[in-house]
Amino acid sequence: MSLIECRQLTKKYTRGDNEIIPLDELDLSIEAGAFLALMGPSGSGKTTLLNLIAGIDRPTAGELRVEGTDIARLSRSKLARWRSTHIGYIFQLYHLVPVLTAYENVELPLLIQPISRKERHARVAQALELAGIADRHDHYPRQLSGGQEQRVAIARSLVTDPPILLADEPTGDLDRASSKAILELLLRLNTELGKTLIIVTHDPTTTHYAKETLHLEKGRLVSEAPPALAAEVKSAGDGRGERDA
Amino acid sequence: MRDLFRLFPLVRKQIVRQPLRSGLTLSGVAVAMFLFCAVEAMRAGVEQATRVTADDTVLVVYRENRYCPFTSRLPQYYGDRIEALPGVLSAVPMKIEVSNCRASLDVVTFRGVPEAAFLEHFVPGFTFVEGSVDDWRNHGGAALVGEALAIRRGVHAGDQLDAAGITVKVAGIIRSTEPQDENVAYTHLSFLQEVSQRGGTGGEVTQFQVKVDDPQKLEAIAQSIDAEFARDSDPTSTRPEKAFVAAAAGDVLEIVRFASWLGWGALAAVFALVANAIVLAVRDRVREHAILETVGFVPRQIGTLIVMEGTILGLLGGIVGAIGALILTQQRFSIGMEGLSIEIASDPSVVLSGLLLSVALGLGAGLVPALRASRRPIATSFRAV
Ligand SMILES: Nc1ncnc2c1ncn2[C@@H]1O[C@H](COP(=O)(O)OP(=O)(O)O)[C@@H](O)[C@H]1O
Ligand SMILES: [Mg+2]
Repeated sequence: MSLIECRQLTKKYTRGDNEIIPLDELDLSIEAGAFLALMGPSGSGKTTLLNLIAGIDRPTAGELRVEGTDIARLSRSKLARWRSTHIGYIFQLYHLVPVLTAYENVELPLLIQPISRKERHARVAQALELAGIADRHDHYPRQLSGGQEQRVAIARSLVTDPPILLADEPTGDLDRASSKAILELLLRLNTELGKTLIIVTHDPTTTHYAKETLHLEKGRLVSEAPPALAAEVKSAGDGRGERDA
Repeated sequence: MRDLFRLFPLVRKQIVRQPLRSGLTLSGVAVAMFLFCAVEAMRAGVEQATRVTADDTVLVVYRENRYCPFTSRLPQYYGDRIEALPGVLSAVPMKIEVSNCRASLDVVTFRGVPEAAFLEHFVPGFTFVEGSVDDWRNHGGAALVGEALAIRRGVHAGDQLDAAGITVKVAGIIRSTEPQDENVAYTHLSFLQEVSQRGGTGGEVTQFQVKVDDPQKLEAIAQSIDAEFARDSDPTSTRPEKAFVAAAAGDVLEIVRFASWLGWGALAAVFALVANAIVLAVRDRVREHAILETVGFVPRQIGTLIVMEGTILGLLGGIVGAIGALILTQQRFSIGMEGLSIEIASDPSVVLSGLLLSVALGLGAGLVPALRASRRPIATSFRAV
């Protein structure tokens, strides 16, 4: 079975007579180790899909299994505990806690884990190192650039060693150089640590890094890869092949 | 319980690293606590000084229709006639001089008493903080000063105390079980009669302090005393000591009651402000709480964070306010009127209940936002700005 399985997955909002259907009977399987880019116009349901997979939103209908768990059936508290070890979530606007230092932000997910202080410290240090931001560990978010903040956020998503990383437009607020660095970091997490990665993006260069690109429109997958893009993705894939070697 | 320890460092950082916000909330609680302690201390003082209890055995005999020690004059020989009445244990004549007959926060009251009766009926209830009763006996112009008065005036044994045109030498400082004793200076009766400039020299006193054998008969004996002198040139008016204080303090009691309401009103206002501050703080952090839940905090832990922060701010504010109230009451304020006084004393139970109140205030103010935060769906929190 696939790592993530969506069957007829539907999310519906009803406001009076108005019905909004961000996700419309979506079928999707994602294998472990995938690096998936999710594209689509604004309002097409990309964030909704990530939120459902992360269990921070609940489907209206359909089936959703992650690592074999039917997460829609978990209680809110069980879901939170499950999420802490299965999902790392990376936001467009980083969402760091402003009164905490980089180190403390990364430490946050570990505060509620039953591990020793020493182990906690080791894991935070390792995550900061992996994200390439260890030298700024005692800085507050306001003292960091956007790219640095996103590195801290990535370290936070990694620190519990979850198998799945979800990133919602992680480079949407960054300049070209920072975007490139963040994408390369995410790619390494996929190739070297084997994290399953789903990135929502508007930026076509992301598809150069991804192994696979899907397009959403009005809550439906339109086609796995439009012909025009497929060639582009292929050449990017070749480039990555060199790096992997 | 384990959560409390795990989450405490996080709460501490929230409080310490937002000093302005925490400081404002904290001072709000401190002010409320201070108000509460002050109002309660005043109310407790009034209660203690004026409520007649079942085991009271002291009556005060005053000149009828006179309300100020300047104008109440009774012949000293009434004492023997009062003591002759059935049920009366003793009648101690007392000359009273005050620096100020109106209600005021700094009144000095001199009570002149005959030595023998004083030693027999008053001194056994005293504890000497400084000096001794012998120093008092050996010096005609000596005074035993109540501790509250001594602290307020900053005098010690051996010092002089000046007030109402009278100068005495402080022979000792006393602590007493009777609240009235705390704010008076006891002198020899003959001394006070001599130095008193207003009229009455020898043989005239202001009042009699009467002890009865049975608290049940307090009212009956008061009536028999007034009946005894009804046809004399100086008719009397006799009441239980505390009722006497209550009557003398009538206007002040009204003010204290009014101040009480003001105090409670202010307290309610501060509560609303603190609650509002916490509600706003939580609204500010809707997204922060969504982040916490995203990284694995369960709603109960997030609620705990919010409630803990409110409770800690409440406790700290309460402690600051309590320290303020304690400092204030160290001054031993008392409202004096007509030679009587009502002490504003904060006893530990007032401070303790104030502390509990501030903690409850912080806890209560955090509870509703905590519940709401832990019910709010996270996906919505991220979309809300
Ligand atoms: N809580 C909500 N209530 C009503 N509509 C919502 C809510 N959340 C999202 N939507 C709608 O769902 C649609 C998909 O949103 P989203 O998944 O955020 O799109 P995308 O991330 O692709 O831009 C949008 O039309 C949005 O307005
Ligand atoms: Mg989106």
